[in-house]
Amino acid sequence: MLDLDELKLQWAEHNRKLDESIRLNRKLLSATNLNRARSALQRMAAFLGLEAAIQLAVVVALGSFINEHIALVRFALPAAALDVFAIAILIAMIQQIAGALQIDYDKPIAIIQKQLEDLRMLRIRYVQGIFLTATLAWTPLLIVVLKEFWGLDAYRLFGAAFLVSNLLVGLAIIPLALWLSKKFSDHVCRSLFIRRIMKDLAGHNLNAAAGFLATLSEFEDETLAK
Amino acid sequence: MTTPALQERFQTLVDDHKKILYKVCNLYCRNRGDREDLAQEIVIQLWRSFGSFDERCRFSTWMYRIALNVAISFYRREDARTRYVLSDEEHLLNAVGETAIESEEIQILYEFIGGLDPLNKALVLLYLDGNSYLEIAGVLGISETNVATKISRLKQTMRQELRGTVRD
Repeated sequence: MLDLDELKLQWAEHNRKLDESIRLNRKLLSATNLNRARSALQRMAAFLGLEAAIQLAVVVALGSFINEHIALVRFALPAAALDVFAIAILIAMIQQIAGALQIDYDKPIAIIQKQLEDLRMLRIRYVQGIFLTATLAWTPLLIVVLKEFWGLDAYRLFGAAFLVSNLLVGLAIIPLALWLSKKFSDHVCRSLFIRRIMKDLAGHNLNAAAGFLATLSEFEDETLAK
Repeated sequence: MTTPALQERFQTLVDDHKKILYKVCNLYCRNRGDREDLAQEIVIQLWRSFGSFDERCRFSTWMYRIALNVAISFYRREDARTRYVLSDEEHLLNAVGETAIESEEIQILYEFIGGLDPLNKALVLLYLDGNSYLEIAGVLGISETNVATKISRLKQTMRQELRGTVRD
């Protein structure tokens, strides 16, 4: 019967043979390719930074709108709701950027994998939050945009009942979206990106991340390793 | 060190330790395309972190830590084929397909490791490569005692699983 120590000797022999059979393509390690990888990462960081800057501009613009209409609650209130939403997005974005920048693969596996999984959970909650609250955000957005850009009063234009019913529809869409994503997250689309979003929404990816964190914690725990 | 000199040093070191790259990729990916994608990601991450590499440490330990970290997150990701894809002719590893695994015992070992979770995969690889418990503990971020316990448990599992599979 074979055991791990006996296989260790065979592994050493296998190792020796690998020396003869592996040819590493040094072209891939050339300046062009390494710099290309570096610039791809810089572009990604710049893109995230730009997104955060735009988000900050939105927060400021909404703050200014609230200030201008502070006496008119019907405009200030939806703008304040949007501002809270925008600030929450900005905080989540900054957390994600900071988390991604802090990841240094040169650290022990248990630490890095935990950081990566925490970051993954943060991203999933971000996606869930955006998709689920977006259905509620469009009514206040309509009120604020019409007022700010065209000076129109959405309450007079559409009537309060229309706006309230839209809010209610937005609320009703949330459980529907959750149900649909749970039902179809595995089958509905061939696109990996869309499927990932669906799994994020349904909470499948969150469960997987939580499961891996539990495995990791078990792996680190000496008392369980008997 | 200037960038070209740094790069030359990086190339030499990675070339000298290319077996780590091969073994990690082979253990965490089943098909050639994924292995090549993973190898690219590992090289990119090694290069990114190379500036902070402490020359007092062993390069192999440092490389293992990065390679295994990248491999585990690659393994756990669904859309593994979406980033940093280089052109087809730029294969990192040539002639290291399945032919390199020639003995029945090594194949059995690969199968056994293939069935482990990504963390235990890393543990077995480090053990087989002759790293001390202290080094393994440093790479994984767990205690030396924990490493010893896990290795002993894995040996036991392996004995049970392989009982009757191969020669007695």
